[in-house]
Amino acid sequence: MTKLDQFQSVFLAADKTALRYEKIGVEHVLVVSDRDGDAAGELLNRMRAFLSVIDDEETRWARLDGGGFSSVKQLLDTVDEQAPDLIVTYRHLHSSAWQWPHSLGEYLDVLTQATRVPVVVLPHPDAARALPHTLEHTERVMAITDHLSGDDRLVNYALGFTQPGGSCWFTHVESLAAFDHYLDVISKIPEIDTESARELIERQLLKGPRDYIESCRRQIAEQHLPFEIGEIVTMGRRLGEYRKLIAEHRVDLLVINTMDDDQLAMHGLAYPLAVELRQIPLLML
Amino acid sequence: MTDDPHSVSGAVTVGFALLLVAMILCLALEEKLHAKKSVIVAVFAVACLLLGGLLHLLPFEEMVVVVGEERIELPIYIPAINWGVVAIILGSSLFVDITSKSGLFTWIAIVLTKTSRGDPLRLLIFYGVMTVAFSAVLNNVTAMIIVGSLTAVSLGRLGIGDKLLGFLLVEGLLTNVGGLLTLISSVPNIIVGNAAGITFMTFFVKAMPYVVVVTGITIWLGARVFKIRSLAGDEARSEAARLVSGFDENDGIESRFKFNFGAVMLGAFIVTIAAASIPDTVLNSLGMGYVALSFAVIMLVQYKSIADRFYQAVDWDLLAFFGALFVVINVMEHAQVLALIGRGLAPILELGETVGPATMLFSSAVASSVTDNIPLAAMLAQILGNLDLAADSPYWWAVIFGANLGGNITPIGSASTLVAVTIIHKHGLELSFAGFVRAALPFAALQLVLAAGYVLWVL
Repeated sequence: MTKLDQFQSVFLAADKTALRYEKIGVEHVLVVSDRDGDAAGELLNRMRAFLSVIDDEETRWARLDGGGFSSVKQLLDTVDEQAPDLIVTYRHLHSSAWQWPHSLGEYLDVLTQATRVPVVVLPHPDAARALPHTLEHTERVMAITDHLSGDDRLVNYALGFTQPGGSCWFTHVESLAAFDHYLDVISKIPEIDTESARELIERQLLKGPRDYIESCRRQIAEQHLPFEIGEIVTMGRRLGEYRKLIAEHRVDLLVINTMDDDQLAMHGLAYPLAVELRQIPLLML
Repeated sequence: MTDDPHSVSGAVTVGFALLLVAMILCLALEEKLHAKKSVIVAVFAVACLLLGGLLHLLPFEEMVVVVGEERIELPIYIPAINWGVVAIILGSSLFVDITSKSGLFTWIAIVLTKTSRGDPLRLLIFYGVMTVAFSAVLNNVTAMIIVGSLTAVSLGRLGIGDKLLGFLLVEGLLTNVGGLLTLISSVPNIIVGNAAGITFMTFFVKAMPYVVVVTGITIWLGARVFKIRSLAGDEARSEAARLVSGFDENDGIESRFKFNFGAVMLGAFIVTIAAASIPDTVLNSLGMGYVALSFAVIMLVQYKSIADRFYQAVDWDLLAFFGALFVVINVMEHAQVLALIGRGLAPILELGETVGPATMLFSSAVASSVTDNIPLAAMLAQILGNLDLAADSPYWWAVIFGANLGGNITPIGSASTLVAVTIIHKHGLELSFAGFVRAALPFAALQLVLAAGYVLWVL
């Protein structure tokens, strides 16, 4: 390694991404369900209580009931027309496939990709899968990603959905499988010391998100925001690790990214999470 | 053969002179030959020693040191090397390398970046001054690497990558200005200063006013030529300040104790090196090489378990280059080549106290612009030393200024400008050899004219 590379690395490492805090604005919420009448009204009321953190006098709540759409196109057209800031719905609309936890259902699948509007995905009302503490409030919110540094949108949404006095966890789980794969390659390159590479790469991989969370803490202190910040930065088999963390921390709302600029399908990690984590509400960005 | 075993015929002198020219040409073509300069000069040193021995030019019989009753026979190439200069370079480079491990220099660089609040003009001023200060304390190449790599990162962060070429060019040119500040700031200073008997303090006091003025002028001209201006508007200013505020000056500091220790030792090093100039003191007798090596050893104690890593980082190519170069020059002296060059320089010395040093300065600069300034400085130091010039003779200063500033005329004129061009190319910017000369020549010409005036009328 040349001295030029050495110093460039030092300065690049010192150039830390800091949170740019912005209060999220949710003025119009659209609750989409396959229920009608009282059942749909009840769902809306329950959601207003659950998401009271974003509900104020100016927030407009609207319903798109089961009778209001019968195709994906109709749903997307309505969303376009109403231009909500947030959609609240659940998996397998107009379908009984909720009984088999292997997909999101055609409506939600397209909705999360065809629009930039954040979607709160609830446990299916008929499935009785929701954990006992969920759907009451959002005191314990967890943002999870495999690339936390610089993801201001994810962090701002997580903070925006955390009730004052509540806890907001920023979770970054680096894929151990990918790490092991690269180290396996490195172990076959004589010019690179494998043990040093393991130690240095792991340290740097985890340092970035930790530094970013530190900047979040500073911002929150400067803005006098009433949140407690939790930090989980680790390496692991991601889905299993997330399941464990959610159970351990009794999370009320999980915040994840779904959009991937490089592809039309959902972000690599988001789809399995959205399919498998059915016991708690998800906020899919 | 004559009766004098070491008499030298004209043909032999010319033959060795041709060898010297060949070596200088090979050094100028170092990149094309894909050979390190230590190897190039070592090959010539081996050939010179062998030829010198075969032709009876070398005084083997005089290579005996008598200590009491003991006679120690020395290999001919040992006294040929100026070990004082080697000790200064080895000691100070080790010391600086260990000190930089403490994170001190990167801390200074990042604090200055944040203090600038991301304003391009203020950044240019701060980086320019920092380049000069680092070049004075570190070697020019390390200074350019630190400031250049930070420049690339910070301008990228600020989204003004289009100004990178201007910044790096100005910094590259300032490394050679900063290299003039102290006796240990550059290798030609060490070689010529030692030969002339110029003390550290005298060197600093005499060179400092020029360095300060020319730094200011170079930055001013750089800002104008490369259109580097202050930000307009509060919004742009606050956004730039926000972007550079993300830099964490403490990130590279592994241990606060080592950082503080490094800072204190750096200050102590400069003071002690200066104190070694005071005549009739123990330090003066031991020499600056001793001071540099002692400080390196003290710093190594901090990293005693990994000291070998610092030995690996020493620029052995540079040290081997010196060793071999001194051997070549020693043989050239025995072969009367230096006397021949001295006679060739006689017309310059006869030009008088004004035109003579000025001609020496400009010709040294031109020679340094196309080949390594170290052989030039070493040869001229030896030749001028043989003329018994006084320490305050303008000829010494003409060589010092010319050898340092000549590196600013072409990208191959000095290692630090070469580093600047390397960083420029690394970031995908186009700059050819001719492009560099076109951009740098106005700066170099101005610096040389000011240097000539300074040497002739101020010093």
